[in-house]
Amino acid sequence: MTKDFNIDDISNLASIHLEENEKLKLQKDLEIVLEHVDALKNIDVKDEKIDIHPLSKILELREDESTPSLSHEDAMKNSPETKDGHFVVPPSIE
Amino acid sequence: MSLKPTIGMETHVELDTESKMFCSCKVVETDEPNISLCPTCLGLPGALPVPNKKAIEYIVMLSLGANCSITKEGMFHRKNYFYPDLPKNYQISQFDFPVGFEGSLEIVIEDSLHTVAIERVHMEEDTGKSIHLGSGRIDSATSTLLDFNRSGVPLVEVVTKPIISSAKMAVAYIEELRQLVIDLGISKGKLEKGNLRFDANISVAEEGSDELGVKVEIKNMNSLKSLEKAIDYEILRQTKMVQDKESIIQETRHWDENKQVTLSMRTKEGSADYRYFSDPDLPNMVINDEFIEISQNQIKETPEKKRKTLLDTGLSLSDSNYLDKGQRWLYELYLSTVKETGDCKSTFNFLTGELQGQMRKAEISELPQWLNSEKLASLINLFENNEVSFTSAKDILAKLLIEDIDPKSFASDNNLIQSSDNDEIKALVTSIIHENQDIVERLENPEDKLVGFLVGQVMKSSESKVNPKSVKEVLLKELFG
Ligand SMILES: [Zn+2]
Repeated sequence: MTKDFNIDDISNLASIHLEENEKLKLQKDLEIVLEHVDALKNIDVKDEKIDIHPLSKILELREDESTPSLSHEDAMKNSPETKDGHFVVPPSIE
Repeated sequence: MSLKPTIGMETHVELDTESKMFCSCKVVETDEPNISLCPTCLGLPGALPVPNKKAIEYIVMLSLGANCSITKEGMFHRKNYFYPDLPKNYQISQFDFPVGFEGSLEIVIEDSLHTVAIERVHMEEDTGKSIHLGSGRIDSATSTLLDFNRSGVPLVEVVTKPIISSAKMAVAYIEELRQLVIDLGISKGKLEKGNLRFDANISVAEEGSDELGVKVEIKNMNSLKSLEKAIDYEILRQTKMVQDKESIIQETRHWDENKQVTLSMRTKEGSADYRYFSDPDLPNMVINDEFIEISQNQIKETPEKKRKTLLDTGLSLSDSNYLDKGQRWLYELYLSTVKETGDCKSTFNFLTGELQGQMRKAEISELPQWLNSEKLASLINLFENNEVSFTSAKDILAKLLIEDIDPKSFASDNNLIQSSDNDEIKALVTSIIHENQDIVERLENPEDKLVGFLVGQVMKSSESKVNPKSVKEVLLKELFG
Protein backbone atom coordinates (compact mmCIF):
# COMPACT_ATOMS: atom_id res chain seq x y z
CA MET A 1 0.00 0.00 0.00
CA THR A 2 1.23 3.46 -0.91
CA LYS A 3 0.40 5.68 2.03
CA ASP A 4 3.79 7.23 1.96
CA PHE A 5 3.07 10.82 1.03
CA ASN A 6 3.38 14.19 2.71
CA ILE A 7 0.25 16.30 2.73
CA ASP A 8 2.36 19.47 3.00
CA ASP A 9 4.17 18.58 -0.26
CA ILE A 10 0.85 18.01 -1.97
CA SER A 11 -0.67 21.31 -0.84
CA ASN A 12 2.55 23.05 -1.78
CA LEU A 13 2.50 21.66 -5.34
CA ALA A 14 -1.15 22.63 -5.73
CA SER A 15 -0.51 26.08 -4.22
CA ILE A 16 -3.39 25.56 -1.79
CA HIS A 17 -3.22 26.65 1.84
CA LEU A 18 -4.61 24.07 4.28
CA GLU A 19 -5.49 24.41 7.97
CA GLU A 20 -4.40 21.63 10.33
CA ASN A 21 -7.89 20.09 10.55
CA GLU A 22 -8.20 20.19 6.74
CA LYS A 23 -4.86 18.47 6.41
CA LEU A 24 -6.01 15.61 8.66
CA LYS A 25 -9.23 15.17 6.71
CA LEU A 26 -7.50 15.27 3.32
CA GLN A 27 -4.80 12.91 4.50
CA LYS A 28 -7.50 10.34 5.21
CA ASP A 29 -9.35 11.01 1.95
CA LEU A 30 -6.21 10.67 -0.13
CA GLU A 31 -5.30 7.44 1.64
CA ILE A 32 -8.66 6.03 0.59
CA VAL A 33 -8.04 7.15 -3.00
CA LEU A 34 -4.67 5.43 -2.96
CA GLU A 35 -6.27 2.26 -1.64
CA HIS A 36 -8.61 2.26 -4.62
CA VAL A 37 -5.64 2.71 -6.94
CA ASP A 38 -3.84 -0.16 -5.25
CA ALA A 39 -6.87 -2.34 -5.80
CA LEU A 40 -6.59 -1.60 -9.54
CA LYS A 41 -3.03 -2.86 -9.48
CA ASN A 42 -4.27 -6.36 -8.68
CA ILE A 43 -6.21 -6.66 -11.93
CA ASP A 44 -4.48 -8.94 -14.41
CA VAL A 45 -4.02 -6.92 -17.64
CA LYS A 46 -1.26 -9.07 -19.13
CA ASP A 47 -3.24 -9.90 -22.24
CA GLU A 48 -4.87 -6.51 -22.72
CA LYS A 49 -3.86 -4.02 -25.40
CA ILE A 50 -2.55 -0.77 -23.95
CA ASP A 51 -5.15 1.96 -24.29
CA ILE A 52 -3.26 5.18 -23.86
CA HIS A 53 -6.13 7.64 -23.93
CA PRO A 54 -9.67 7.46 -22.58
CA LEU A 55 -11.10 8.80 -25.86
CA SER A 56 -11.09 6.64 -28.97
CA LYS A 57 -11.42 9.70 -31.19
CA ILE A 58 -8.35 10.60 -33.25
CA LEU A 59 -6.81 14.03 -32.93
CA GLU A 60 -7.72 16.51 -35.65
CA LEU A 61 -5.00 18.86 -36.84
CA ARG A 62 -5.53 22.34 -38.25
CA GLU A 63 -3.70 24.07 -41.11
CA ASP A 64 -0.98 26.54 -40.15
CA GLU A 65 -2.95 29.72 -40.79
CA SER A 66 -3.20 32.68 -38.46
CA THR A 67 -6.44 34.49 -37.72
CA PRO A 68 -6.93 37.80 -35.93
CA SER A 69 -6.59 37.50 -32.15
CA LEU A 70 -8.08 39.45 -29.28
CA SER A 71 -7.33 43.15 -29.34
CA HIS A 72 -4.66 44.20 -26.88
CA GLU A 73 -7.29 46.03 -24.80
CA ASP A 74 -9.59 43.00 -24.65
CA ALA A 75 -6.71 40.70 -23.76
CA MET A 76 -5.73 42.91 -20.82
CA LYS A 77 -9.29 43.65 -19.65
CA ASN A 78 -9.48 41.12 -16.80
CA SER A 79 -6.11 42.00 -15.35
CA PRO A 80 -6.22 43.80 -11.96
CA GLU A 81 -2.91 45.50 -12.72
CA THR A 82 -1.06 46.39 -15.93
CA LYS A 83 2.07 48.37 -16.76
CA ASP A 84 3.44 49.39 -20.19
CA GLY A 85 1.23 46.84 -21.91
CA HIS A 86 2.26 44.01 -19.56
CA PHE A 87 0.34 42.02 -16.99
CA VAL A 88 1.69 42.73 -13.50
CA VAL A 89 1.95 39.88 -10.98
CA PRO A 90 3.63 39.54 -7.58
CA PRO A 91 7.39 38.92 -7.83
CA SER A 92 8.19 35.39 -8.89
CA ILE A 93 11.53 33.81 -8.17
CA GLU A 94 12.75 30.90 -10.22
CA MET B 1 41.35 8.73 -8.47
CA SER B 2 40.56 9.70 -12.05
CA LEU B 3 37.13 11.19 -12.72
CA LYS B 4 35.23 11.38 -15.98
CA PRO B 5 32.39 13.80 -16.73
CA THR B 6 29.11 12.76 -18.35
CA ILE B 7 26.85 15.30 -20.01
CA GLY B 8 23.34 15.09 -21.42
CA MET B 9 21.84 17.99 -23.37
CA GLU B 10 18.24 19.20 -23.43
CA THR B 11 17.60 21.63 -26.26
CA HIS B 12 14.45 23.61 -27.00
CA VAL B 13 13.89 24.54 -30.62
CA GLU B 14 11.34 27.21 -31.50
CA LEU B 15 9.64 26.23 -34.76
CA ASP B 16 9.20 28.79 -37.53
CA THR B 17 5.47 28.55 -38.16
CA GLU B 18 2.90 31.15 -39.14
CA SER B 19 0.59 30.42 -36.20
CA LYS B 20 0.96 29.11 -32.65
CA MET B 21 0.89 25.44 -31.61
CA PHE B 22 -2.65 25.08 -30.26
CA CYS B 23 -4.40 28.24 -31.47
CA SER B 24 -4.43 30.40 -34.61
CA CYS B 25 -2.70 33.42 -33.10
CA LYS B 26 0.12 34.70 -35.30
CA VAL B 27 3.68 34.01 -34.14
CA VAL B 28 5.13 37.52 -33.83
CA GLU B 29 8.62 38.88 -33.38
CA THR B 30 8.06 42.21 -31.69
CA ASP B 31 8.83 44.20 -28.56
CA GLU B 32 5.20 45.31 -28.36
CA PRO B 33 3.81 43.13 -25.53
CA ASN B 34 0.57 41.13 -25.49
CA ILE B 35 -0.65 41.79 -29.01
CA SER B 36 -1.09 38.22 -30.30
CA LEU B 37 -3.33 36.53 -27.77
CA CYS B 38 -6.57 34.57 -27.66
CA PRO B 39 -8.45 32.69 -24.92
CA THR B 40 -6.47 29.49 -25.66
CA CYS B 41 -2.94 30.89 -25.29
CA LEU B 42 -4.09 33.04 -22.35
CA GLY B 43 -5.37 29.93 -20.59
CA LEU B 44 -8.90 31.28 -20.17
CA PRO B 45 -11.51 28.79 -18.96
CA GLY B 46 -13.29 26.80 -21.65
CA ALA B 47 -10.76 27.38 -24.42
CA LEU B 48 -9.77 24.26 -26.36
CA PRO B 49 -6.43 23.52 -28.03
CA VAL B 50 -6.25 22.37 -31.68
CA PRO B 51 -2.75 21.34 -32.83
CA ASN B 52 -0.96 22.90 -35.78
CA LYS B 53 -0.39 20.38 -38.58
CA LYS B 54 2.71 22.14 -39.90
CA ALA B 55 4.34 21.95 -36.44
CA ILE B 56 3.71 18.21 -36.34
CA GLU B 57 5.22 17.87 -39.84
CA TYR B 58 8.23 19.86 -38.66
CA ILE B 59 8.82 17.72 -35.58
CA VAL B 60 8.54 14.57 -37.71
CA MET B 61 11.11 16.07 -40.12
CA LEU B 62 13.42 16.85 -37.21
CA SER B 63 12.98 13.37 -35.75
CA LEU B 64 13.77 11.78 -39.13
CA GLY B 65 16.71 14.15 -39.61
CA ALA B 66 18.04 12.99 -36.24
CA ASN B 67 17.56 9.36 -37.33
CA CYS B 68 14.80 8.68 -34.78
CA SER B 69 11.98 6.15 -34.85
CA ILE B 70 8.52 7.75 -34.95
CA THR B 71 5.74 7.05 -32.45
CA LYS B 72 2.79 6.21 -34.69
CA GLU B 73 0.18 6.51 -31.97
CA GLY B 74 1.12 9.17 -29.45
CA MET B 75 -0.47 11.71 -27.20
CA PHE B 76 -0.07 14.95 -25.31
CA HIS B 77 0.37 15.27 -21.56
CA ARG B 78 -0.10 18.09 -19.12
CA LYS B 79 2.99 19.08 -17.18
CA ASN B 80 1.69 20.85 -14.10
CA TYR B 81 3.48 23.64 -12.31
CA PHE B 82 2.74 27.11 -11.06
CA TYR B 83 4.76 29.78 -12.69
CA PRO B 84 3.27 33.08 -13.89
CA ASP B 85 4.65 32.82 -17.45
CA LEU B 86 2.45 29.74 -17.89
CA PRO B 87 -1.14 31.03 -17.74
CA LYS B 88 -2.86 27.61 -17.66
CA ASN B 89 -0.68 26.42 -14.75
CA TYR B 90 0.29 23.52 -16.95
CA GLN B 91 2.25 23.18 -20.13
CA ILE B 92 1.02 20.91 -22.90
CA SER B 93 3.94 18.58 -23.52
CA GLN B 94 4.64 14.91 -24.15
CA PHE B 95 5.70 12.37 -21.57
CA ASP B 96 6.00 8.68 -22.36
CA PHE B 97 5.10 8.84 -26.05
CA PRO B 98 7.40 11.44 -27.64
CA VAL B 99 7.07 11.90 -31.43
CA GLY B 100 10.67 10.76 -32.04
CA PHE B 101 12.83 8.36 -30.02
CA GLU B 102 16.13 6.46 -30.17
CA GLY B 103 18.01 8.47 -32.79
CA SER B 104 21.52 9.73 -33.34
CA LEU B 105 23.38 12.71 -34.75
CA GLU B 106 26.79 12.62 -36.36
CA ILE B 107 28.99 15.45 -35.09
CA VAL B 108 32.46 16.74 -35.98
CA ILE B 109 35.11 17.70 -33.44
CA GLU B 110 38.15 19.12 -35.23
CA ASP B 111 39.11 16.32 -37.62
CA SER B 112 37.13 13.42 -36.23
CA LEU B 113 33.57 12.13 -36.43
CA HIS B 114 31.56 11.22 -33.34
CA THR B 115 28.00 10.09 -32.72
CA VAL B 116 25.62 11.51 -30.14
CA ALA B 117 22.69 9.24 -29.25
CA ILE B 118 19.33 11.03 -29.09
CA GLU B 119 16.88 9.78 -26.49
CA ARG B 120 13.74 11.65 -27.48
CA VAL B 121 12.26 14.46 -29.57
CA HIS B 122 8.98 15.76 -28.20
CA MET B 123 6.42 18.46 -28.95
CA GLU B 124 5.37 21.16 -26.51
CA GLU B 125 4.40 24.82 -26.29
CA ASP B 126 6.53 27.79 -25.32
CA THR B 127 5.83 29.97 -22.27
CA GLY B 128 5.43 33.74 -22.05
CA LYS B 129 8.27 36.08 -21.16
CA SER B 130 8.71 37.63 -17.72
CA ILE B 131 10.54 40.78 -16.74
CA HIS B 132 11.45 41.06 -13.06
CA LEU B 133 11.25 44.58 -11.70
CA GLY B 134 13.25 45.67 -8.70
CA SER B 135 16.84 46.30 -7.73
CA GLY B 136 18.10 44.17 -10.60
CA ARG B 137 18.66 41.01 -8.58
CA ILE B 138 16.23 38.26 -9.40
CA ASP B 139 15.59 37.42 -5.74
CA SER B 140 14.81 41.01 -4.75
CA ALA B 141 12.27 41.78 -7.46
CA THR B 142 9.30 43.88 -6.42
CA SER B 143 6.97 42.70 -9.18
CA THR B 144 6.98 40.69 -12.39
CA LEU B 145 5.76 41.90 -15.80
CA LEU B 146 4.34 39.38 -18.24
CA ASP B 147 4.20 39.30 -22.02
CA PHE B 148 2.31 36.30 -23.44
CA ASN B 149 3.08 36.81 -27.15
CA ARG B 150 5.42 33.79 -26.99
CA SER B 151 2.94 31.72 -24.98
CA GLY B 152 1.89 28.77 -27.13
CA VAL B 153 4.57 29.08 -29.83
CA PRO B 154 5.47 25.55 -31.04
CA LEU B 155 8.52 24.24 -29.25
CA VAL B 156 10.40 20.98 -29.77
CA GLU B 157 12.60 19.51 -27.08
CA VAL B 158 15.50 17.32 -28.17
CA VAL B 159 17.10 15.26 -25.41
CA THR B 160 20.37 13.34 -25.78
CA LYS B 161 21.40 10.31 -23.82
CA PRO B 162 24.02 11.07 -21.15
CA ILE B 163 27.00 10.27 -23.36
CA ILE B 164 28.63 13.61 -24.10
CA SER B 165 32.08 13.66 -22.54
CA SER B 166 33.35 17.23 -22.83
CA ALA B 167 32.32 20.86 -23.26
CA LYS B 168 33.77 20.83 -26.80
CA MET B 169 31.62 17.83 -27.71
CA ALA B 170 28.50 19.55 -26.33
CA VAL B 171 29.26 22.63 -28.46
CA ALA B 172 29.81 20.50 -31.59
CA TYR B 173 26.48 18.77 -30.90
CA ILE B 174 24.58 22.06 -30.60
CA GLU B 175 26.25 23.33 -33.80
CA GLU B 176 25.10 20.20 -35.65
CA LEU B 177 21.54 20.37 -34.26
CA ARG B 178 21.33 24.08 -35.09
CA GLN B 179 22.47 23.43 -38.67
CA LEU B 180 19.96 20.58 -38.95
CA VAL B 181 16.97 22.77 -38.06
CA ILE B 182 18.22 25.49 -40.43
CA ASP B 183 18.80 23.07 -43.33
CA LEU B 184 15.39 21.48 -42.73
CA GLY B 185 13.88 24.98 -42.82
CA ILE B 186 11.89 24.39 -39.63
CA SER B 187 13.44 27.04 -37.37
CA LYS B 188 15.42 30.23 -37.79
CA GLY B 189 17.99 28.67 -35.46
CA LYS B 190 19.19 31.99 -34.07
CA LEU B 191 20.73 31.55 -30.64
CA GLU B 192 20.71 35.27 -29.89
CA LYS B 193 16.94 35.35 -30.54
CA GLY B 194 16.31 32.35 -28.30
CA ASN B 195 15.20 30.12 -31.20
CA LEU B 196 17.52 27.51 -29.69
CA ARG B 197 17.86 27.26 -25.88
CA PHE B 198 19.82 24.59 -24.09
CA ASP B 199 20.31 23.09 -20.63
CA ALA B 200 23.08 20.68 -19.67
CA ASN B 201 22.89 17.79 -17.20
CA ILE B 202 26.33 17.18 -15.80
CA SER B 203 27.75 14.57 -13.46
CA VAL B 204 31.19 13.16 -12.70
CA ALA B 205 32.02 9.57 -11.81
CA GLU B 206 35.09 7.45 -11.37
CA GLU B 207 36.72 6.39 -14.62
CA GLY B 208 35.62 2.87 -15.53
CA SER B 209 32.58 2.95 -13.25
CA ASP B 210 29.25 1.87 -14.77
CA GLU B 211 27.27 4.18 -12.53
CA LEU B 212 26.78 7.87 -13.18
CA GLY B 213 27.38 10.44 -10.46
CA VAL B 214 24.74 12.79 -9.02
CA LYS B 215 23.30 14.90 -11.84
CA VAL B 216 23.26 18.70 -11.76
CA GLU B 217 21.25 20.67 -14.30
CA ILE B 218 22.74 23.90 -15.65
CA LYS B 219 20.45 26.54 -17.12
CA ASN B 220 20.71 30.02 -18.59
CA MET B 221 23.49 29.62 -21.13
CA ASN B 222 22.73 31.97 -24.01
CA SER B 223 25.61 31.31 -26.36
CA LEU B 224 27.93 28.50 -27.39
CA LYS B 225 30.71 30.32 -25.57
CA SER B 226 28.79 30.38 -22.28
CA LEU B 227 27.78 26.74 -22.81
CA GLU B 228 31.43 25.74 -23.10
CA LYS B 229 32.49 27.83 -20.10
CA ALA B 230 29.59 26.70 -17.90
CA ILE B 231 30.27 23.01 -18.56
CA ASP B 232 34.00 23.38 -17.94
CA TYR B 233 33.28 25.29 -14.73
CA GLU B 234 30.76 22.74 -13.48
CA ILE B 235 33.02 19.75 -14.23
CA LEU B 236 35.78 21.44 -12.24
CA ARG B 237 33.44 22.29 -9.34
CA GLN B 238 32.10 18.74 -9.09
CA THR B 239 35.53 17.14 -9.50
CA LYS B 240 36.89 19.23 -6.66
CA MET B 241 33.91 18.33 -4.46
CA VAL B 242 34.38 14.61 -5.08
CA GLN B 243 38.10 14.88 -4.40
CA ASP B 244 37.36 16.73 -1.16
CA LYS B 245 34.90 13.98 -0.23
CA GLU B 246 31.96 16.39 -0.25
CA SER B 247 28.65 15.08 -1.55
CA ILE B 248 27.10 16.65 -4.63
CA ILE B 249 23.39 17.46 -4.35
CA GLN B 250 20.97 16.95 -7.19
CA GLU B 251 19.88 20.48 -8.10
CA THR B 252 19.40 23.07 -10.80
CA ARG B 253 22.11 25.67 -11.14
CA HIS B 254 22.09 28.90 -13.07
CA TRP B 255 25.07 30.08 -15.18
CA ASP B 256 25.99 33.61 -14.08
CA GLU B 257 27.50 35.29 -17.13
CA ASN B 258 28.97 38.19 -15.15
CA LYS B 259 30.56 36.15 -12.39
CA GLN B 260 31.39 33.22 -14.74
CA VAL B 261 30.20 30.67 -12.18
CA THR B 262 27.20 28.37 -11.73
CA LEU B 263 24.92 29.26 -8.79
CA SER B 264 22.32 27.13 -7.04
CA MET B 265 18.68 27.96 -7.86
CA ARG B 266 17.34 25.90 -4.95
CA THR B 267 14.61 24.16 -6.92
CA LYS B 268 14.40 20.42 -6.95
CA GLU B 269 11.25 19.40 -8.76
CA GLY B 270 11.36 15.80 -9.83
CA SER B 271 9.33 14.28 -12.63
CA ALA B 272 6.66 13.14 -10.11
CA ASP B 273 6.14 16.72 -8.91
CA TYR B 274 4.96 17.71 -12.38
CA ARG B 275 2.06 15.24 -12.05
CA TYR B 276 2.04 14.45 -15.75
CA PHE B 277 -1.28 13.11 -17.01
CA SER B 278 -2.73 12.72 -20.49
CA ASP B 279 -4.44 15.89 -21.68
CA PRO B 280 -8.18 15.16 -21.84
CA ASP B 281 -8.61 18.02 -24.36
CA LEU B 282 -6.40 16.27 -26.91
CA PRO B 283 -7.25 12.79 -28.19
CA ASN B 284 -4.58 10.36 -29.42
CA MET B 285 -2.36 11.68 -32.17
CA VAL B 286 -1.90 9.24 -35.03
CA ILE B 287 1.13 9.75 -37.24
CA ASN B 288 0.60 7.29 -40.07
CA ASP B 289 2.98 6.19 -42.84
CA GLU B 290 1.48 8.66 -45.27
CA PHE B 291 2.09 11.56 -42.89
CA ILE B 292 5.67 10.38 -42.32
CA GLU B 293 6.23 10.16 -46.08
CA ILE B 294 4.92 13.69 -46.65
CA SER B 295 7.28 14.94 -43.96
CA GLN B 296 10.20 12.90 -45.32
CA ASN B 297 9.65 14.36 -48.80
CA GLN B 298 10.07 17.86 -47.41
CA ILE B 299 13.61 17.07 -46.28
CA LYS B 300 15.80 18.54 -49.00
CA GLU B 301 19.06 18.85 -47.13
CA THR B 302 20.74 17.88 -43.87
CA PRO B 303 24.18 18.87 -42.58
CA GLU B 304 25.23 15.22 -42.73
CA LYS B 305 24.33 14.98 -46.43
CA LYS B 306 26.05 18.30 -47.21
CA ARG B 307 29.16 17.14 -45.38
CA LYS B 308 29.26 13.95 -47.45
CA THR B 309 28.97 15.99 -50.66
CA LEU B 310 31.86 18.19 -49.51
CA LEU B 311 34.02 15.21 -48.47
CA ASP B 312 33.44 13.73 -51.93
CA THR B 313 35.19 16.73 -53.50
CA GLY B 314 38.34 15.71 -51.60
CA LEU B 315 38.18 18.23 -48.74
CA SER B 316 39.29 17.27 -45.23
CA LEU B 317 36.65 16.63 -42.56
CA SER B 318 37.28 19.90 -40.71
CA ASP B 319 37.21 21.98 -43.93
CA SER B 320 33.99 20.19 -44.99
CA ASN B 321 32.47 20.88 -41.60
CA TYR B 322 33.47 24.55 -41.84
CA LEU B 323 31.59 24.99 -45.13
CA ASP B 324 28.71 22.83 -43.88
CA LYS B 325 28.12 25.16 -40.94
CA GLY B 326 28.75 28.38 -42.85
CA GLN B 327 26.56 30.49 -45.06
CA ARG B 328 24.55 28.73 -47.72
CA TRP B 329 25.89 30.78 -50.67
CA LEU B 330 29.49 29.95 -49.78
CA TYR B 331 28.68 26.24 -49.68
CA GLU B 332 27.04 26.43 -53.12
CA LEU B 333 29.76 28.63 -54.58
CA TYR B 334 32.45 26.22 -53.40
CA LEU B 335 30.70 23.25 -55.00
CA SER B 336 30.24 24.92 -58.37
CA THR B 337 33.76 26.41 -58.37
CA VAL B 338 35.56 23.21 -57.42
CA LYS B 339 33.76 21.45 -60.26
CA GLU B 340 35.66 23.72 -62.65
CA THR B 341 39.04 23.95 -60.93
CA GLY B 342 39.21 20.32 -59.81
CA ASP B 343 41.40 21.50 -56.95
CA CYS B 344 39.54 21.31 -53.63
CA LYS B 345 42.19 22.71 -51.30
CA SER B 346 43.12 25.79 -53.35
CA THR B 347 39.45 26.51 -54.08
CA PHE B 348 38.58 26.20 -50.37
CA ASN B 349 41.52 28.39 -49.34
CA PHE B 350 40.79 31.06 -51.93
CA LEU B 351 37.07 31.28 -51.15
CA THR B 352 37.26 31.09 -47.36
CA GLY B 353 40.49 33.10 -47.08
CA GLU B 354 40.79 35.67 -49.85
CA LEU B 355 37.20 36.06 -51.00
CA GLN B 356 35.57 36.13 -47.56
CA GLY B 357 38.39 38.31 -46.22
CA GLN B 358 38.05 40.90 -48.97
CA MET B 359 34.25 40.89 -48.68
CA ARG B 360 34.50 41.48 -44.95
CA LYS B 361 36.98 44.30 -45.43
CA ALA B 362 34.87 45.96 -48.12
CA GLU B 363 31.72 45.27 -46.09
CA ILE B 364 30.07 43.40 -48.93
CA SER B 365 27.57 40.86 -47.63
CA GLU B 366 26.39 39.54 -50.97
CA LEU B 367 28.38 38.45 -54.02
CA PRO B 368 27.98 40.75 -57.02
CA GLN B 369 25.80 39.12 -59.67
CA TRP B 370 28.61 38.78 -62.21
CA LEU B 371 31.01 37.13 -59.78
CA ASN B 372 30.10 33.55 -60.60
CA SER B 373 31.94 30.27 -60.15
CA GLU B 374 33.26 30.41 -63.74
CA LYS B 375 35.12 33.67 -63.12
CA LEU B 376 36.41 32.52 -59.74
CA ALA B 377 37.60 29.22 -61.19
CA SER B 378 39.39 31.04 -64.01
CA LEU B 379 41.11 33.28 -61.45
CA ILE B 380 42.09 30.36 -59.21
CA ASN B 381 43.48 28.51 -62.23
CA LEU B 382 45.54 31.56 -63.24
CA PHE B 383 47.58 31.58 -60.04
CA GLU B 384 47.54 27.82 -59.51
CA ASN B 385 49.16 27.46 -62.97
CA ASN B 386 51.60 30.21 -62.04
CA GLU B 387 50.34 32.45 -64.81
CA VAL B 388 49.85 35.28 -62.32
CA SER B 389 51.39 35.82 -58.88
CA PHE B 390 49.21 35.45 -55.78
CA THR B 391 49.52 39.20 -55.25
CA SER B 392 48.13 39.81 -58.73
CA ALA B 393 45.32 37.29 -58.09
CA LYS B 394 44.33 39.27 -55.02
CA ASP B 395 44.29 42.50 -57.04
CA ILE B 396 42.19 40.89 -59.76
CA LEU B 397 39.71 39.66 -57.14
CA ALA B 398 39.43 43.13 -55.63
CA LYS B 399 38.63 44.45 -59.12
CA LEU B 400 36.11 41.63 -59.68
CA LEU B 401 34.23 42.59 -56.55
CA ILE B 402 33.46 46.02 -57.97
CA GLU B 403 33.45 45.47 -61.72
CA ASP B 404 32.47 42.80 -64.21
CA ILE B 405 35.82 41.81 -65.76
CA ASP B 406 37.22 38.66 -67.30
CA PRO B 407 40.15 37.64 -65.04
CA LYS B 408 42.30 36.29 -67.87
CA SER B 409 41.93 39.23 -70.26
CA PHE B 410 42.30 41.66 -67.37
CA ALA B 411 45.59 39.97 -66.41
CA SER B 412 47.01 40.17 -69.91
CA ASP B 413 45.72 43.69 -70.57
CA ASN B 414 47.42 44.85 -67.38
CA ASN B 415 50.65 43.01 -67.95
CA LEU B 416 50.15 40.67 -64.99
CA ILE B 417 50.87 37.42 -66.80
CA GLN B 418 54.12 35.90 -65.62
CA SER B 419 56.41 34.58 -68.29
CA SER B 420 57.33 30.92 -68.30
CA ASP B 421 59.45 31.50 -71.40
CA ASN B 422 62.61 29.54 -70.61
CA ASP B 423 64.94 31.53 -72.86
CA GLU B 424 63.94 34.79 -71.21
CA ILE B 425 64.32 33.29 -67.74
CA LYS B 426 67.64 31.71 -68.63
CA ALA B 427 69.01 35.08 -69.74
CA LEU B 428 67.91 36.71 -66.48
CA VAL B 429 69.32 33.84 -64.38
CA THR B 430 72.66 33.97 -66.15
CA SER B 431 73.07 37.64 -65.53
CA ILE B 432 72.11 37.34 -61.82
CA ILE B 433 74.60 34.48 -61.35
CA HIS B 434 77.23 36.65 -63.00
CA GLU B 435 76.46 39.63 -60.74
CA ASN B 436 76.49 37.54 -57.55
CA GLN B 437 79.62 35.42 -57.88
CA ASP B 438 80.49 35.81 -54.19
CA ILE B 439 77.17 34.27 -53.15
CA VAL B 440 77.29 31.52 -55.76
CA GLU B 441 80.67 30.41 -54.34
CA ARG B 442 79.19 30.06 -50.85
CA LEU B 443 76.32 27.80 -52.03
CA GLU B 444 76.61 24.27 -50.66
CA ASN B 445 73.47 22.47 -51.83
CA PRO B 446 70.11 23.09 -53.59
CA GLU B 447 68.38 23.53 -50.20
CA ASP B 448 70.64 26.44 -49.25
CA LYS B 449 68.71 29.49 -48.14
CA LEU B 450 70.79 31.61 -50.49
CA VAL B 451 69.00 29.96 -53.44
CA GLY B 452 65.88 31.79 -52.33
CA PHE B 453 67.81 35.03 -52.26
CA LEU B 454 68.97 34.49 -55.86
CA VAL B 455 65.43 33.64 -57.01
CA GLY B 456 64.33 36.89 -55.40
CA GLN B 457 67.00 38.81 -57.30
CA VAL B 458 65.84 37.32 -60.61
CA MET B 459 62.20 38.18 -59.80
CA LYS B 460 63.23 41.71 -58.94
CA SER B 461 65.17 42.20 -62.16
CA SER B 462 62.17 40.93 -64.15
CA GLU B 463 59.81 43.20 -62.19
CA SER B 464 57.93 40.06 -61.09
CA LYS B 465 56.92 39.28 -64.64
CA VAL B 466 58.34 35.77 -64.58
CA ASN B 467 57.10 32.70 -62.83
CA PRO B 468 59.11 32.08 -59.61
CA LYS B 469 58.77 28.32 -59.84
CA SER B 470 60.32 28.25 -63.32
CA VAL B 471 63.06 30.61 -62.15
CA LYS B 472 64.03 28.26 -59.34
CA GLU B 473 64.10 25.27 -61.69
CA VAL B 474 66.32 27.04 -64.21
CA LEU B 475 68.56 28.45 -61.48
CA LEU B 476 69.13 25.07 -59.82
CA LYS B 477 69.88 23.50 -63.18
CA GLU B 478 72.46 26.17 -63.94
CA LEU B 479 74.12 25.89 -60.52
CA PHE B 480 73.97 22.19 -59.72
CA GLY B 481 73.33 20.66 -63.13
ZN1 LIG C 1 -3.84 32.23 -29.10
